[in-house]
Order: sequence, then structure tokens, then C-alpha cells
Amino acid sequence: MTAESNEQKNRYLQYLETVTGPLEDKRRYRRHKARVRALPADYRTAVDALERYMQFFGPGKADSLLAMLDDLADLFEQSAADGIPIREVVGEDPVEFAETFLRNYPEGQWIHRERERLADAIDRAADHATGDEP
Amino acid sequence: MGKQMTEMLKGTLEGIVLAILSGRPAYGYEITARLRDQGFSDIAEGTIYALLVRVEQRGLVDVEKVPSEKGPPRKVYSLNAQGREYLDEFWRTWSFLAERLEQLREGGKQT
Repeated sequence: MTAESNEQKNRYLQYLETVTGPLEDKRRYRRHKARVRALPADYRTAVDALERYMQFFGPGKADSLLAMLDDLADLFEQSAADGIPIREVVGEDPVEFAETFLRNYPEGQWIHRERERLADAIDRAADHATGDEP
Repeated sequence: MGKQMTEMLKGTLEGIVLAILSGRPAYGYEITARLRDQGFSDIAEGTIYALLVRVEQRGLVDVEKVPSEKGPPRKVYSLNAQGREYLDEFWRTWSFLAERLEQLREGGKQT
């Protein structure tokens, strides 16, 4: 195989990925939406509110985001089946719950990137001050 | 549950959940119910669930899906070898902390 055909193949695979990758993600997202629609109305309202909050503070990467949405649906499906009241699921402070839950999906969260950036910058400054810099 | 209790629990709840699982495997709601029986009355089911997701991600528990009469299959969590190691470390840290705090309290009484 020549280098040229290899390159063409790679381009084709890249093209396929950009087309089918998001499609599979969309399918997964639609499955998630269907699960949420099947919940009792109050539970659905709670999930919608949590999802809205998590849109702002949640992961930016599709994989991580979809894993998070699946876990959220698992929790509310199980809770609805067991008849656990929404207040007991989410607790007195819903923000507290949302933050604990969100910490499991750091990938692609802008706040996570900013935390890393801050830690790196301080590392550099601190190493520089003590002359430890390689 | 007071603000102070909530704040103190934040750092210890993961260890508490692992300690409960060290007795026998359990699913999410069982763990919350057992905590309520022991006086942790205001702990949210969702918070326990989030911690279970975390210890699963970190490989401290094994998970088995068990069919349930009502609703979707339940995830039953059991502590594995790595989880036991982690729990040992948690108790060592806890003992250290409790000892030092007690010393602080005794010191405060003397002055």
C-alpha cells in the first residue's frame, strides 16, 4: 500500500468518525430522553431541573456527558420504582447533591480545566521561587 | 442535620459507605436506609448514589446487577480487596484525627 492510499484511508476514517460518531451519541441521547419521558411527572421535572443545572457546570465531552445522564436516569428510575420521595432522593440542598454528583464526571468540565490551569501556574511560580525549576 | 454535621460528613461519608459494605453487599437504598437507622437522618439517597458511582469508578467495589420485582435491575455493591485496603487506610486516618482532636479538647480544658 502506498503512503498516498494510506492517507486517503485515514481521511475516510476521519470523515466516517465525524459523521457516525455524533450520530451514535445522538442515538444515546434520544434513548436517555425517552427514559426521562417515561418517568412519573414529578420525577421528570426534577431530572429536567438537574439536567439544566448540569448543562452549565457539567462535562463538555460527549462520552462523559452521556455517562452522567445515564447515571442520573438510573437513579431516578430506581427511586421512582422504590417509591422514594423526590425530597429524599435529592436532599434538603439540591445544589449540594448536584455538586457531589458532578464531581464524578470531571472530563471536559471548564471548571476542572481552570482548576488544573491554576495548579500548574502555581507549581511553576513556586518552583521558580525555590530554584527547583528543571 | 446542622450545617456543621453536613460539612463534617462530606469528608467521611465515602468511608462510612465502604464500612457499611464491609459487613455485607448492599444496593443503594439499603445503604441509605441503614444510615437512617443509625441516626444519619437527612442523608440524600442521591448523595449515596453519587458516592457509589465514585467508588465504582475507582475500583473499590464490585458491582452485580440483580433483577428486581419492581423496576429496573438493582446494582448490588460489594467491597473488593482494593476497597478493603482503602477502608483500612480510612480507619487509620480517622483514628489519627480523632486522637489529635481529643488532645486539642483536653488542652483547651487545662488552660
